[in-house]
Amino acid sequence: MDWTEKDFNDAQRLDGNAAAGLLEQCFGADITANLVQCGSCGREGPLGALHAYIRTPGLVLRCIQCSAVMVRVVETPDAIYLDAQGLTFLRLPVTYASE
Amino acid sequence: MLDWLTTTVKRVRSETPTVKTFTLALPPGSQPYRAGQHYDLRLVAPDGYQAQRSYSIASPPEQVGEVELTVERLDDGEVSTYLHDVVVPGDHLEVRGPLGGYFVWEARRATLPLLLVAGGSGVAPLMAMLRHRAAAGVRLPTRLLYSARTLDDVIFREELGRLTAGDPTLEVAITLTRAQPTGWRGFARRIDAALLREIATPLGSPVTAYVCGPTLLVEAAADALIQIGFAPEHVLTERFGPTGTL
Repeated sequence: MDWTEKDFNDAQRLDGNAAAGLLEQCFGADITANLVQCGSCGREGPLGALHAYIRTPGLVLRCIQCSAVMVRVVETPDAIYLDAQGLTFLRLPVTYASE
Repeated sequence: MLDWLTTTVKRVRSETPTVKTFTLALPPGSQPYRAGQHYDLRLVAPDGYQAQRSYSIASPPEQVGEVELTVERLDDGEVSTYLHDVVVPGDHLEVRGPLGGYFVWEARRATLPLLLVAGGSGVAPLMAMLRHRAAAGVRLPTRLLYSARTLDDVIFREELGRLTAGDPTLEVAITLTRAQPTGWRGFARRIDAALLREIATPLGSPVTAYVCGPTLLVEAAADALIQIGFAPEHVLTERFGPTGTL
């Protein structure tokens, strides 16, 4: 197989699952099973099923339908920057205490 | 918030010439894990340099108090070479987890037949599922299609034989892609749509599929499953990245 740059990038691709640890640090909970919607094409699905690229500066999660960047996470020595402007929503299930 | 835990290595077992299983004792009160999840593992050098990787859990949730990570040694791997070449029982390893809520199979919640597709060391989380299935006494029709280079590279070979011998609802098909022993009667090619169709068809429809291994193998298999009629939401993937051991 003649490897192009695209092939190298494709072979590096992971699932959003690979971001579980970092996102757990951001949210205090594992959100890989949570529903997200792509701000570009509207596709909904679990965050864990997004395409993840970790050999970028930081980590990038892309929509599996339209490839738009949905989430970017960058770690610095004293902070984690989370850019989620590519989502229309992230669903966080909540149970309310009954009256 | 999940903190880094210090675990003690209880056992190190060689599975194949390039794969070892590390059994780690978890501190009391550790969060129980589920089949399909992973732990992040980090090594910290004396100068503060850190290397971190994610490793799938190979042990079932029933194995309380310890976790097994089955790790392939990559020649250019920073962490896997350390684990294989340096770590011995009694050593301490830092892990964080369990992580992953998407690529999970729970025996008590499962209702559909199960198709597991593994490439190389991608069999690890699927083995957790099979061990959990056996421990829970679940008899949903299940098939594992496992791609390895040679017979010597097939991890858990004897255990897979034992699991299938006692359970007519479980079948394991192995495909050897690089070399086959004399008299080999299993498959001998890379996973393709025709092979998947042959394995999956007897399970009926719908079926839940878990696919794990090198990224290119996982994507080819997942695309093929959708091509042969699996609903996308029934095909769950865990890509391991560019470890080219198909």
